[in-house]
Amino acid sequence: MISFNQVTFTYPNAAQPALQNVSLQLRDGSFTLVVGESGSGKSTLLRCVNGLVPHFSGGQLLGDVRVLGFDPVQAGPEVMSQQVGFVLQDPEAQFVMDTVEDEIAFGLENRALPRQDIRVRVEEVLDLLDLEPLRARKLETLSGGERQRTAIASVLAMRPRVLVLDEPTSQLDPKSAEDVLNALVRLNADLGLTIVLSEHRLERVLPFVDTVVALFAPSLERELHIGTPAQVMPHIDLAPPLIQLAKALDWHPLPMTIKEGKAFSAQLVRPEIASAPAAAGAHTNMAPLLDVRHIDFGYGPQPVLKEVSLQVRAGEVLALLGRNGSGKSTLLKCIIGLNKPKRGEVRLDGTSTAGQSVAQLSQRIGYLPQDPNALLFADTVAEELAITLRNHHVPAAELQPRVAAALHQLGLADKAQRYPRDLSTGERQRVAFGAIAITQPRVLLLDEPTRGLDYAAKRQLVRLLSEWRVAGTAIVLVTHDVEMAAEIADRVAVLSQGEVIAEGAPAEVLATSPWFAPQISRLFPATPWLTVEDVLKALKSL
Amino acid sequence: MRSTAWLMWLGACAGVLWTTRNPLYLVLALLCIEWVRASLVQRTSPSVLARSSISPARLVVFMVPLSALLNAVWTRAGDTVLFRLPSWLPLIGGAITLEAVVFGALNGLVLAGFITAFSVLNRALPVRALVNLIPRAFHSLAVIVSIALTYVPFTLRQAQAIREAQLIRGHALRRVRDWLPLFMPLLAGGLERALQLAEAITARGFANPGRGNLRLEALALVGLLLAGLGWLVRLLVPAFSGWGWAGLLVGMGLTGWSIWRLGKRIPRTHYRLEKWTLKDGLVIGAAVLAVVGLHVPLFNRASLFYDPYPVLTLPLFDPLIGACILCLAVPAILLMGDSPE
Amino acid sequence: MSQTPRPAARWLSIGTYILISIIGLAAFLYPFWLPAIEPSGISGHAQDAPVMTLLLIGLCLIAIFLDAQANGLTTKTIALLGVLVAINSVLRFIEVTIPGPGGFTPIFFLIILCGYVFGARFGFLMGALTLLVSGLITGGVGPWLPYQMFTAGWMGLSAGWLAALMAERKRRTTDDGRPILPSSVVRRPSSWPLLPLILFGALWGFLYGLIINIWFWPFATGPAAQYWQPGIGLAQTLQRYAVFYLATSAGWDVFGAIGNAVLMLLFGLPTLRTLLRFKGRFTFNYRPVQVVSGSAQLSEA
Repeated sequence: MISFNQVTFTYPNAAQPALQNVSLQLRDGSFTLVVGESGSGKSTLLRCVNGLVPHFSGGQLLGDVRVLGFDPVQAGPEVMSQQVGFVLQDPEAQFVMDTVEDEIAFGLENRALPRQDIRVRVEEVLDLLDLEPLRARKLETLSGGERQRTAIASVLAMRPRVLVLDEPTSQLDPKSAEDVLNALVRLNADLGLTIVLSEHRLERVLPFVDTVVALFAPSLERELHIGTPAQVMPHIDLAPPLIQLAKALDWHPLPMTIKEGKAFSAQLVRPEIASAPAAAGAHTNMAPLLDVRHIDFGYGPQPVLKEVSLQVRAGEVLALLGRNGSGKSTLLKCIIGLNKPKRGEVRLDGTSTAGQSVAQLSQRIGYLPQDPNALLFADTVAEELAITLRNHHVPAAELQPRVAAALHQLGLADKAQRYPRDLSTGERQRVAFGAIAITQPRVLLLDEPTRGLDYAAKRQLVRLLSEWRVAGTAIVLVTHDVEMAAEIADRVAVLSQGEVIAEGAPAEVLATSPWFAPQISRLFPATPWLTVEDVLKALKSL
Repeated sequence: MRSTAWLMWLGACAGVLWTTRNPLYLVLALLCIEWVRASLVQRTSPSVLARSSISPARLVVFMVPLSALLNAVWTRAGDTVLFRLPSWLPLIGGAITLEAVVFGALNGLVLAGFITAFSVLNRALPVRALVNLIPRAFHSLAVIVSIALTYVPFTLRQAQAIREAQLIRGHALRRVRDWLPLFMPLLAGGLERALQLAEAITARGFANPGRGNLRLEALALVGLLLAGLGWLVRLLVPAFSGWGWAGLLVGMGLTGWSIWRLGKRIPRTHYRLEKWTLKDGLVIGAAVLAVVGLHVPLFNRASLFYDPYPVLTLPLFDPLIGACILCLAVPAILLMGDSPE
Repeated sequence: MSQTPRPAARWLSIGTYILISIIGLAAFLYPFWLPAIEPSGISGHAQDAPVMTLLLIGLCLIAIFLDAQANGLTTKTIALLGVLVAINSVLRFIEVTIPGPGGFTPIFFLIILCGYVFGARFGFLMGALTLLVSGLITGGVGPWLPYQMFTAGWMGLSAGWLAALMAERKRRTTDDGRPILPSSVVRRPSSWPLLPLILFGALWGFLYGLIINIWFWPFATGPAAQYWQPGIGLAQTLQRYAVFYLATSAGWDVFGAIGNAVLMLLFGLPTLRTLLRFKGRFTFNYRPVQVVSGSAQLSEA
C-alpha cells in the first residue's frame, strides 16, 4: 500500500544522493518505525510519502513511489494531504491559529467543507486524541506533548489513511512522549491507521511497532533492512541498552521489551553475581567545588525552589533528575546568576558568587541552555567561538590559538568555516558547547543536552564530558535521559516540587526507583548494575 | 454579528463627528462615546500587549488646547481680537482672535472623538475577530496576519531565551551595536521556523489560491480610477461637487463588488459563526438613526453648520438632532445589563 | 519569485502602480495645491477632503493588495511573511514599551531590507502588514492606520525597486563562464550595497514622518476652509506647513532618519547576509519539466 521502487533522490546542489535505490513495501495498517543515523535519509524517505519531496524541497527524484494508489510526485502535497497526514518534529512551528479548536478547523475551512461537517470532525478528533478538556486553550499555554497531539489532531481531521511523523517526540520530555505514543498506538490499533514514524529514542517505540525499516546513508553502501523489530535490530549498531545486551549475550529472539528481556535475564541472576559491587566513587573527601546552599527562589509568590542544597566536587558529574516543572532548570539559572535567589547562596571554590554579574560568572561557570540555537548567530563556527572570547576581553593575539584548540577538542576542526546553523543537531550542540566552554570554566551546567540527539551524538557527548571530568571540572547535568545518567554520573540527585528528595550514588538512587531506573536496572532488579558494561564486566569476572 | 455591529457604530460616530461643527452637538457626541468606553473598560480586560486606553479626559485636555493654539496662531480671521503679536514675527505675527481659538478647539474635539471611538473598537473586539473581518478575497493576507499573531508571543519568549543565552557567554548591552547578538538569532531562528511552518501547512493541503480573475481585478482598478476622478472633481470643480461624491461612491461600490466576487471564487467556510442577537440589531438601528437623523430635512439642519467666523455667536441647538446623537450611547445602555468580568 | 505573468496581467500590474502613484501623490499633497487653486470663499465641501482622502487611500491599499497577493505570494512566502511580520511587530512592541529618542523606530530597517532582498511586492506586504499587526497587538487601530500602512508599504516597495536598479551590476556568470543560477548561490555582498541602503534608510526615516504629518495636518488644523484669505498661494501654504512641521515633528523625524541610518550601518550587513542565505530556500518553485517513466526533474524558478 506504500511502495518504493528503486527510489533515488538528490537534493538540489547536493553532491551525494540522500536516498539511493530504496525499495520497500509497507502494508495497510502497519505501524512502522524508520531508524537510521543522521544523514541516513529518514526525513527524506518520510517526505516522499506525501509528496513534500520533491515538490517542497526541489531536487531530482528517480524511481517510483506509490501510496494508496496515488503517485505523490504527480499528485503533489495538496492532493496527498487528504490521504496522508504529516506531523513535524517541532511542536512550536506547525500552527497558524492560536486555540486548539481553531487550529484543527483551519485545514477543514480551507477545504470549504460545510460547517456541520467541520464541527463533526473537530469533535471526533478531539475525542480521539483526548484533547477535549483543552479545546479552548491557547496553544502557547500547552505543553509540548499537548501541542504535538494538537498537530496530530489537525492532520487527522482530514481523515487520512496514513499518518507520517518525523521525530514527533524528540523535543518532548518522557511523560509527554509517552502520551503522544500512546495516542498513536491507539490510533493504529483501534482505527487501523497506517503509521510511519522516525524516532531516535528507540526504547520508547520498539515495543509498539510491527515493522522496522533500517536506513543507512548511501555513502556507507549498506543494504536497507526491513522486517519485524526482532529481525532488523541485530543489524543496527547503536541501539537501546536492552538490545545491546541481548546482542552481546546472544539472546534469541531479540527481546524488545523489559518483559521479554526478563525471560532471559532471570536465568542469569544468581546470588553471587548479585552481590558484586559496582565501581565506587572516590571523591568523598574533597571539598566541594560548587556549593549550593539553601537556595529559596520563586518567580512570584509561589516558591519554585525550597531550601535546595547540593555539592559537586572537582571531577565529579552530578545528574539532576526530576519531573517537568520540578525546578531543575530554575536551579541551574540560580547557579549561573540569571535568577537571583531570595535566600541562600552559591559558592564557587569557597567564595560566594553573590554580587557578580552573569557575564563575570560565565567565565568560570559554563551554562549550556536547553535550546543551543539561541546562542548561535555568527557566520562561521570559528567566529562563534571567538565571539565569546571577545566578550570576555581576551586579547586579539590569543584568539586564534585558543579557538583552534577548542575546535580540535570538540572534533569540529573540519567544520570551522561552516555556518553553524546549517550543521546537524549534535554538531550544533557541540558548537554551542564550545561557545560557552572556551573560557575553560571550572564548573559546567548542562540543561537537557540530550534533547533531539541520536545515539551516536549522545556517545560523543559522553566522551566530551568524560574528557572535561578528567580535567577536573565539576559538571551538573540536568536530564531526563536515565541511560545517560547511568553511564556518566558519579552522583544523582532527584528534584521534586522544588526540593531535593533523593541524593546519592547512581546505584542507590536510580536502581531502586521505578520511574528512573535504566533498562539494565529493570532487567536485573536485585543488582547494582546500571549499564551494559556493568553486566558484561560482572559476568566476565566470574 | 457582534463585530459588524461595532463597526457600524464606529461608522456612525465618524459620521456624526464629521458632519457638524456645532460645539453643543460635538460635546454631546463626545460624552456618549466616552460613556460607551467607560462601561466597556469596566467590563473587559485589555489584552496583555495593548497599551492601556488613553483616557479621553486626558485626550481632550491635550488635543483641544493644542488645536486651538495652532489655529489661532496662523489664522487672521475673526473680529474679536484677544491680543496682538508683534507683526515682525514671520508667520505668527498679527492678531490672535477668539474665533480662531474656538475654531481650533472645535477641531480638537472632533479629533478627540475619533480617537476615543477607535479605542472603544480596540477594546470591544478581540484581535482575532478583527482578522475575521478581512474580506475573503484577501484570504492569503488573513493567513499571514493569523500566523503573525500566533508567533508574536512565541517570538517574545524566544527573545527572552536569546537574551539569557547571550548573557551566559559574557555579552553585555553597552552600545547600540550590542543589540546585534540579540537580533540575529531571532531573525535566523524565525527564518528557519518559517520554512518548517511552510512545510507543515503545505502538508496539510494549504496552497496559495493564486491569481483571481483578471477581469475582476481590472474592475477593481477601474473603481479606483473612478473614485480618484470623483475626488478630484469634488475638490476642483465646485459646481459639480455632488458629482464628485457620486464618483467616489460609485468607484468604491465597483471596487467593493469586485472584491466580493473575487472572494466568492475562493472556497472557504467558517467554523465559528457569530450569532445575531437583539442587541446587535439595536446597536445597528441606533447607528443608522444617528447618521440619518442628521440629514433629514425635517429637523433644524441649520444648527449643524456652526461657524465661529466672522463673529463669535451662540450655537443653536435642536433637541431632535440632539436625540439622534444620543443614539450613539445605545451600546453603553445595553452593556449596563452585563456584569463586569 | 513567481511564474512569468501573462501580458495582460503585466499591464494590469503596471497600470495599478502608475495609478496608485499618481493618486497617492495627489492625495498626500492636496493641502498644498488645493488652496492655490481655490482662492476665494469658504468652500464647505472642501471640509470633506480629509474623509474623502482617507477613503481613497483605502481603495489604493486594496488595489495594491490585490496585485501583491496575486503576483507575489507562494505558500513559502506566506509563512515567511507571517514570521517576519511577527518579529517586526515584536520590535515595534519593544519600541513602544522602551521608548527610544524621538521618532526612532526599529521596524523600518527590516522592512527596507526585506523589500531589498525579496522584491518590491514582498516589501510592500511586509511594510503594510507590519503596521497592521503591530497596530492590532498594541491596540493602536485608528483612522491613521491606512496611512501608516500605505506609507510603510511604499517604503518596502521602493526598496525592492532600489534592488532592481542596482541589479545591473550583479554578476551573472562565474569566472570561468558558467552561469550562476539565481537561487543556487549565496551572494556575499561586499560593503558597497550598504551605502545606498544607509542613505535610503535615512531618507525614508525622515519621509515617513513627513508624510504621516502631511496627513495629520488637515485633521489637526481643520479643513482647507480656513484658507479663505484670498490670494493665498502655494508659497504661503508651504510656509505654513513648514511652521507646523517644525513645531510638531521635525525633531521627531530627524531622530527617525538618524536612527534608521545607524541601524542600517550597524546591522545592515549581517541581516542582509542572513536574509540572502535563506532566500534560496524560499524562492524555489517546483515545476516538473519532464516526466520520463518514473523520473521527475525540477526546474529553478
